[in-house]
Amino acid sequence: MNLNLSDNLFGFHDADSRGQRIYRGAFELFIVIATCYLAWKWGRYTLRIGDVVLPLGLARYLDISFMHGNNLPLWNAGLITLLTAYGFSRLGRWSYSLAFVLLLFQYAARFSLGEIPHSANLVGIGLLGYALGDIAYSAHASRSKFGLGFSIFFVGLTYTFSAWSKLIASGWRWPDGRHLWMWINEKAVDEIARSGFVELNWIQEWALENMVIATLFLAFGLVTELFAWLVWFKKCRYYVIWAILGLHIGIWLTMDILFQLSMIELLLLALPWPAIIDRVLKTSQTDQI
Amino acid sequence: MADWLSDSDNLHIPVSMKGTSATKKARNTISAVLVVYVLTVALNLGEFWPFSIFPMFSQGGNSWSRALVREMPTGDAVSWNSAGLDDLPGIPFGVASKGIDPIDLANFVSKTERWDPIRVRALSTMLFASEAPDRRLLIFRVQAQLLDGGEVAIEATPYVLIAPGGVLLNPIIKP
Repeated sequence: MNLNLSDNLFGFHDADSRGQRIYRGAFELFIVIATCYLAWKWGRYTLRIGDVVLPLGLARYLDISFMHGNNLPLWNAGLITLLTAYGFSRLGRWSYSLAFVLLLFQYAARFSLGEIPHSANLVGIGLLGYALGDIAYSAHASRSKFGLGFSIFFVGLTYTFSAWSKLIASGWRWPDGRHLWMWINEKAVDEIARSGFVELNWIQEWALENMVIATLFLAFGLVTELFAWLVWFKKCRYYVIWAILGLHIGIWLTMDILFQLSMIELLLLALPWPAIIDRVLKTSQTDQI
Repeated sequence: MADWLSDSDNLHIPVSMKGTSATKKARNTISAVLVVYVLTVALNLGEFWPFSIFPMFSQGGNSWSRALVREMPTGDAVSWNSAGLDDLPGIPFGVASKGIDPIDLANFVSKTERWDPIRVRALSTMLFASEAPDRRLLIFRVQAQLLDGGEVAIEATPYVLIAPGGVLLNPIIKP
């Protein structure tokens, strides 16, 4: 097994097939579309915000209230859309970087009410990867390989961080099934607040009735996150990505939290898409770099 | 052919030289990002989007605080006493109908220490945008704790009533 991290993440030395190029283009396009989606979603929501309750990110250093009470969030979303389109079309080397900075403002304005979400971190990190790739490399293939590898590196790192946060905060007793009971009830109250009613699904009922099952759910999640860094290595990547997808499906079923963008990104990493595309295109013959 | 489909960048460049140089750049760039990552999360309580230590659900068994809203029919008296989820006054009201994320409401209620006129107006803006309230909404703070026997005890306390005639605050909270 090749343990060289650079080979596993970026493959700058590897021959490039048409399927690989299409796949990397599709991954980058996903990051662009997801960025625009977030920019508009956050921008529209920010129009409803009238006060800063908990400043986050950039808002800890500058008064973000200038983004509230006017249409600036929508103008910002428009600019981000334009800049990412420019970046994807290779019309501007700094386009992604500027879009990333503007997205930091969009995030700080939207999440100033106290919520600290983690559903969009992978998209933000993905955009940062392409921004840095555009600055660091002149060759398109290298920029594209760096952007994808950067995302894979941080998928492994962030999920592993999450496991260590749990162990540091709660120790090895974190997977205690009673903790899941608390979270299921917490999310049930969120659902009552959201829609006025709640009806627990059979998985939630099962976990609430059986502490062993609840403990096993949490234990699976913790072990998966602890070993998420193995995505850095090609040999393990697909297995670990599927385990992380399983973790997200578990979170969705037990706590009704669906990280849609993260799951789409993981699905893009979960299968040998370049080989599948090559097979579909019947172009298995690789083009030499 | 689209740029990302072409391999024109790869012509005439020896593989090993290009790969080695690119690898070095990648290593340096990621190292720099990691330094920024560590510094920003260390200086910002673990969160500087998109960097984070991802602390969600890290504190197992800790008490939590959320919020929910009930619509109070005209004429119903408002009690400021706490109650269980099955004994709440009024009728269910889903904040999704107003395009609000319930977690924003929960954080707004739990993180507000002084309910001054600015904060009360911001809550009204959240629920009714810039329009005047057209119904009586009672906002509850919901708190839960894990008891020794493993039971989850949940209690809802009315905090704010927003009504067409004005706003009323529970006497236990600071105006």
